[in-house]
Amino acid sequence: MIAIPTFILIISGAATGLIGAMLGLGGGVFLVPLLALALGVPIRTAIAASLISVIATASASSTINLERGLVNMRLGMTLEVATTLGGLAGGLLAAALTQRQLFLTFGATLAVMGVVMALRSGRRNVIADMGVEPGRLGGRLQEGDNAYVYRIRRLPLALVASLVAGAISGLLGVGGGIIKVPVLNTFCGIPIRVAAATSAFMIGVTGAASAFLYFGRGDVALHLTAAVAIGALPGSLLGARLSQRVEARSLKIIMAVVLLLVGLRMALEAL
Amino acid sequence: MSSRIRTLERIVEVALTAGVAVSGLLLVAGLLLGSTAPLWWGVLLLIVTPVVRVLVVTVGLILDHDWVFVGVCLFVLGVLLSSVYVSGRL
Repeated sequence: MIAIPTFILIISGAATGLIGAMLGLGGGVFLVPLLALALGVPIRTAIAASLISVIATASASSTINLERGLVNMRLGMTLEVATTLGGLAGGLLAAALTQRQLFLTFGATLAVMGVVMALRSGRRNVIADMGVEPGRLGGRLQEGDNAYVYRIRRLPLALVASLVAGAISGLLGVGGGIIKVPVLNTFCGIPIRVAAATSAFMIGVTGAASAFLYFGRGDVALHLTAAVAIGALPGSLLGARLSQRVEARSLKIIMAVVLLLVGLRMALEAL
Repeated sequence: MSSRIRTLERIVEVALTAGVAVSGLLLVAGLLLGSTAPLWWGVLLLIVTPVVRVLVVTVGLILDHDWVFVGVCLFVLGVLLSSVYVSGRL
């Protein structure tokens, strides 16, 4: 592996942490291609560094999201049952599957999610009547002067999506937010800001489930990982603050474009 | 939102901030000094921070007598601990 200047690694971590925290993704979906394709880092080392950077992004941005009351902790803990199982399985399977199959499936999934998200970007998931009971996994959301209620729908689908997201996180070091946020928002009735914040809250735990395995296997390159994580910390704090200033519909459209582009890029990588 | 949940969120926020701050300092120190030990501990602390967060939530929910979600948290902790166990055998 060629020696990469530390400041380039720090900037890479900062940029991907910023975008990741803004969209509740973790940022690994950008960091792995950046490290592996642009900087020539071996894919397994890139995945391990990304997983740890994603944990840094998720932990840092969650401090801000918690302060704003955007995280639905009960929903997050419930879905973590599935994401940690998926993360553990994905981390163990990482050595067994071919990258080509993985990239192709993942790329196609992302592209489809992007189209679905774009088509439903105008749809709102909130109920203006504050008298409506949100249920144990729903919640209340304050947006400016307006207060809303939201309720979880299709919980089994959210659990399946979380399991898949966890497995993909463990396999590709991408956090899994790119699956969870669109599914929670588009199909399960969770407002985009709450979906992104709750996803980021979960990503740290999902990442930890598989990061221990990469750490134990000796795949973590300390200097590279530390530099990327150092950049991700301030980047994600800034991203979490910026996300509040962007309109919900714009967030959905940005997410749809990101899903399509990354999906196509990954599918092309496999061909 | 109940005030107890809000308090728990504040405690989780403090735990995450402390974990991120200390690991960040260790990583910066390791990079500046060119020393492996602070980098190793910094990375390990970053990975452990979300686990501590689950522990904090579990204790908070026990104090809240929310047994269903205590069970959920204990399951998640079990999966994380099994990951630590498996990683030690790789």
